Amino acid sequence: MLLQVSNISKNFGGVQATKDFSVTVDKGEIVGIIGPNGAGKTTIFNVISGVYTADEGSILLSGQNVTKLPQHEITKLGIGRTFQNIRLFKGLSIIENVMCAFDPQSKYSFIGSIIPTPKRKAEEKRGKELCEHYLEIVGLKDYINEAPENLAYGYQRRLEIARALMCNPKVLLLDEPAAGLNPTEVGELTELILKLSKDFGFATMLIEHRLELVMGISHKIVVQNFGKTIGVGTPKEVQNNPAVIEAYLGAEEEDNA
Amino acid sequence: MQFYLSVLTLTLITIIGVAGVYVLTSLAGMFSLGQAAFMAIGAYASGILVVKLNWPFLPAAILAVLISVIIGFFVGLPTVKLRRDYISLVTLGFGEALTAILNQMTGLTGGAAGFSGFPKVISFPIVLVAAIICVILVAFFKKSKYGRQCIALKGDELAAKAMGINVPKVKMIAFLFSVALVSLSGVLYAFYVTYVDPTLFGWKLSGEWVIMNFFGGVSSLTGSILSAIILTALPEMLRFLSDFRMVFYAVVVLLVLNFKPAGLLGTWELTPKNVKKLFQKKKEGTHASSGK
Repeated sequence: MLLQVSNISKNFGGVQATKDFSVTVDKGEIVGIIGPNGAGKTTIFNVISGVYTADEGSILLSGQNVTKLPQHEITKLGIGRTFQNIRLFKGLSIIENVMCAFDPQSKYSFIGSIIPTPKRKAEEKRGKELCEHYLEIVGLKDYINEAPENLAYGYQRRLEIARALMCNPKVLLLDEPAAGLNPTEVGELTELILKLSKDFGFATMLIEHRLELVMGISHKIVVQNFGKTIGVGTPKEVQNNPAVIEAYLGAEEEDNA
Repeated sequence: MQFYLSVLTLTLITIIGVAGVYVLTSLAGMFSLGQAAFMAIGAYASGILVVKLNWPFLPAAILAVLISVIIGFFVGLPTVKLRRDYISLVTLGFGEALTAILNQMTGLTGGAAGFSGFPKVISFPIVLVAAIICVILVAFFKKSKYGRQCIALKGDELAAKAMGINVPKVKMIAFLFSVALVSLSGVLYAFYVTYVDPTLFGWKLSGEWVIMNFFGGVSSLTGSILSAIILTALPEMLRFLSDFRMVFYAVVVLLVLNFKPAGLLGTWELTPKNVKKLFQKKKEGTHASSGK
């Protein structure tokens, strides 16, 4: 199993954001996490990617225990992510934003950073080519020198995905990638996620409120409510699970009405 | 003539210091109120080696910068792992403690009476070359992987870590590079002016460098250098205002930062590409106006 999350819990003061959460994700698999706001979905991503350390439980990535490692080391071991509230680097162009994810892998020394050694030139060239490659995949090749804040919302989300791809992820965590997108853009994004999952073969975890997206592409869905898992299964199973309907889908229908 | 040359030389020395603070503050977003202390270490360490221990200048200068970097490492160690506001406190404390020590160690440093007897080995051309080299190194640094990582973590530390950036390490590299530049400016200053005393290197100087960085442009190296020139030359040119010159200086700084919060040049850099763009825009502008 590529990613094995076992019984993780995380408290903030008296609030139990996530309790006893477990999931396994395999290569090429897409796992969706759904649940009402405040159900602790982003906390799960933050614990897996090392923003927070789990109070209890363990996270194994290709069999290696990464539970207590610092965030940047977890990234290097193969967990890439995007953020719910887009977090691009201001003051850097689009290609430089992606380059930032290459830089920790770039192999030149401090001397190379203050004088243009051949090694620096070669590494910068390698990085730039990779950036262009990933930006082409997400469809941003024509804007590489623009400032990220000039991009439309949907494109900013794509830039975050390109940046995550640059981390060579074995597991890709997408936190509400469709938030704020119009239906056409959601369709394009769905295709992109499926294509990436197929081409790169990484495990994908997806937090999403747009049910048409998450039900359409997930192999497995975990439903969270108040920090606890209330249902796991294929999209069909989850849709017919009475606890889920009551806690989540039922509420959503009321909202729509 | 002699006066103007000396103002120019001191301005160039300031540029080296400001370039050092640029790396720390404008690139990595860390505010140090004690960078001037590393200028003091550069000046005093090289001075003690040359004057008291009869070392030749060049090895003494190199060792002085090295000593500053080593001390900088220990000062940086606790700060780079903390939230960035703490670096101001730690460096302020360190800087003020260091000036107090320099004041007390009368035997070695001359105490409050100052340290004199530096041979005048530094002249305008040497400072000019040193300043040009330092600025070029910083310009390359900005465009390097560390420069980009600095700008990234300045904007969003959490996202930077999620990209695999080792935030404490990158901050430490920026801090030490800054320390090396600032301490070099101290060596040059000491052997140009031939006299230093502890009051020169208090938090006021560190603060001035930070102001220069903001005055010139939030993350523009060109702007920082330009403002180092303006703000060093300005008080000299305003001497006729005598007591009011510092008031005038403060008003100029406040006005600029009020009406241009991003500083004089914002993020604009002097590169051949940007200059070309500037001219193209100007041309387009005249076309448009003539069209009307």
